[in-house]
This record gives sequence, structure tokens and C-alpha cells, in this order.
Amino acid sequence: MSRFLFVVPPLAGHINPALSVAHAVAGRGHEVAWAGSEKFLRPLAGQSATIYRTGLRLYRPQGERGFTALKSLWESYLIPLARFTLPAVDTAVAEFQPDVLVVDQHAVAGAVIARKHGLRWATLAPTMMELARPYRSMPQVTAWLNGLLAGLCSGAGVTPFDPLFSPHLVLSFLTEALTTGLPVPDGVVMAGPVFGGRPAGPEFPWEQLDPGRKKVLVTVGTLATDIAADFYARMTEALEPLAGRVQAILVGAPGGPAVGPGILALPRVPLLDLMPHLDAVVSHGGINTVCEALSHGVPLLLAPIRHDQPVVAAQVSAAGAGLRVHFSRARPDELRSALAEIIWKRKFRTASSRIMRSFVAAGGAGTAAEHLERVAAAPASVPEG
Amino acid sequence: MPGHDADGSAPEAGALAGMLAKVTGEPASWARQVSAGSRLEGDLLLDSLEVAALAGLLSQAYGDRVDLLGFLAGLGIDQLIELTVGDVAAYVARSLADLQ
Repeated sequence: MSRFLFVVPPLAGHINPALSVAHAVAGRGHEVAWAGSEKFLRPLAGQSATIYRTGLRLYRPQGERGFTALKSLWESYLIPLARFTLPAVDTAVAEFQPDVLVVDQHAVAGAVIARKHGLRWATLAPTMMELARPYRSMPQVTAWLNGLLAGLCSGAGVTPFDPLFSPHLVLSFLTEALTTGLPVPDGVVMAGPVFGGRPAGPEFPWEQLDPGRKKVLVTVGTLATDIAADFYARMTEALEPLAGRVQAILVGAPGGPAVGPGILALPRVPLLDLMPHLDAVVSHGGINTVCEALSHGVPLLLAPIRHDQPVVAAQVSAAGAGLRVHFSRARPDELRSALAEIIWKRKFRTASSRIMRSFVAAGGAGTAAEHLERVAAAPASVPEG
Repeated sequence: MPGHDADGSAPEAGALAGMLAKVTGEPASWARQVSAGSRLEGDLLLDSLEVAALAGLLSQAYGDRVDLLGFLAGLGIDQLIELTVGDVAAYVARSLADLQ
């Protein structure tokens, strides 16, 4: 039996896959603990989970995109979060005595502390951001990020190293079906999407689902509420003429819950339970929603906003499993015709099902847990400083 | 706007705005509001695909010496954030001047 400490940022899209991996690891008889925000983790990981509290800092992206979003993500959020959580992660390591730290790629403090104590660590890469490095052709941008990470390491008394990619193990929840053409570093384990170990989703009015119409779910995730209103308005206009043939489920749309002839608007839905009923998903390209749809062979209309979302949208579109539109620019008629294509042209569902099969073959959480066991069984490395 | 070459071969403001309208699919009324000071990212909300399409249109119009993506690759993150239509026009003008 080995001891695994999961270090995660307070971001739902990062915690959800970590929960599934932790569940699989615990199911194999290992001991699991968490270092992160208890406020975020407790409702998800459950009352019996061991949580070392790091305190909470929230990510508030405020409508930024492109390089503006990249700069603010690192300078205003991830680096300060890492500095803020370093002491708490250090304490967690001292108290829990883990054999392996399982570190979210954006919870950099976990990597720095593992390095400081010479502990083995694995990287969880739940996004496409660092695998795709959309700024890879830009040496000054790469140097800027490396400088920030080196400053963080030095401040913690650790010789600068790459805290985003563990030399022991990097786990991605994608498969090659989605990473064609991306500069994915050698040795990254593609486990496919991971499920299980998550609390049950919210209630859903199943009796409202109309078996006679195609069903489309529209969501822009939890971090884009500031710029979502305008997109939902255009999407609603796009859907209106289709109401006789398409029932839309709008998640988190401003204006609160509403039930119209063509539209079911709800603050939250049990996404995984709904997927088998859906004919298409409209999304901003958050990797979790995208992979949940693809895991059910559901095609996607993607309107990316920031970070890895443009890459995710491009990869899904290149794989034939969906179409990409501009989040701010796409007009209702454009959204309507793209959506109609995805719903009624068979090829999108066929391509999505192809990706689904690659996910099943990759093994998911079981594969991830096997690789983590391998890291735990390896000989210890040498402590630094 | 900056970027006028002495021989007039550099892009006029209107030509660049026209290309931007083409890559974004926006109407002429949108293009008329594009100025030298418009930031590609913050004001015009260009995404990476649209920037790549603009690079394609520029090299089509002015030849391979105008390599917008190559120019962007040399910039730092703050320059990329603040990049304006005027900066692009000035880069095109410089590239064409270098040819002579």
C-alpha cells in the first residue's frame, strides 16, 4: 500500500478528473489525501476525505482572451496561488508522509514541494493548455512563463526546474484521437477521460424531456458568466425557429430557470446523466464538457473563449466531431446553420463515436491508477536543498 | 495611420480594415470603425485562426516577404497584447521597404 497526496487548485474542471483518479487509486487499496481548498474539495471528495487545507483564492477571468488571458492566468492567479499555498502543501507533506505527490499541472506548489523534499511526483494534465502550448512558436512568451516559474522555485529555495512536467509521470486525460498535430512531449501517458468517484449531479426534470425532438445542451461553463449573456441571447435567437424540432437545455444562462416551448433553462444539470439523451452539445470548449460529450459519441458546436479552448475547438473540428464558431462574433443565423449541420449530418456523430472508442481503449482512471502505482514502486530520488 | 510607405505600396488603412472584415466575416460598418489604434486582441477580438487568416491575406497581397506570423513570433507577451492595426501596417511597410 502506498500513500498518494493529491494537490489541486480550486477549479472544478481540475478537481473532477483528480477525484476520479483518486477514487481508482483508493479502490486499489492505497491511501489518498488532498491538499487544496477545503471549501471546494469537501462537497466533492466527501466527509471522510482527508483534506489538508490550503485556503482559497478564486480565479476571476473577467472576459479576457488570448495573450491577455494567458498573462493574467499566470501573473495574477497561478503564481500567487502557488506562493500562497506553498506552506500549507509543505505541512501536508510533513503530516501525511506521502510516497507520491499527484500534482495538478496548474497547482505548481505541489511540484515545488515535491522537488524540495526529493519526493516522487506525477503531473495531472486535465487541460490541453500545456500539451498544446499555443504560444510555442513565440520564444519571448515561453521565456516570460519560464521566468515566472523560475522565480517561484527560487523563492521557495529550490533550483529552478520545470514544475509543469514531472520527470516521473505526466497523465493526460485525452487520447491521440484529439491530439493529432500537437507537440505533446514524449512519455505523456494518454489515459483518456476519467469518470467515477464524483458526487451525484443535481436533480433534473426528466419528465420535461421531449422524446419527439432532438435535444441540444448549451453550456459555457462556470467561469465565463461575465460574457455569457450575449452568447446565450444569440444562441436563444438561433434556436427559436428550430423549436418544433429541437429542444434546448440551457445551463447557467442568465435570467434564472425558465421553461419555454423550445427551451429548458436550468442553473445546473447532471451533465453525465444527460449525455446519453443528447444529439449535440454547444459549449465554450472546456475540456471536461467536451470529453464528456465525446465519451458518449455526442458531436459539438464549440465557441471558444480563452486558454486552451481555441485549441480544443480546432482539434475537435479537425477530428470531424464538431464545428467551431467565434464566441463573440457568431450571429444567430450562423449558429443555427452550424447547429443544424451537427444535429442532422451523420458524419459528426460518426466521428465523435470514433473518438469515444479511443477513450474506452485508453482505459481511463484504471490506466491512470496503474501508472501511479508504478511511480510509487520506483526507487526514491535524491532530495534537493 | 502609421505604416505608409514612401512609394505608396504599403497598405492603406482601408485595405487593412477590408482584410480584417474578410477574416472576421464582419460587415463594412464594422470595418469603418477599425482605426490604427485598434488592438487586434482587446478591441477587435481576433482569435488565433483569424490572425492566421490575416497573415495569409497579407502575404497574398504583398508577397512572402510579409510574414505576419514570423513578426508576431518575435514579440513579447505585452507587445502581443497591445498589438494594433497601426503596428501591423508599420510592419508591412517595413517589410516592403526592406525589399527595395
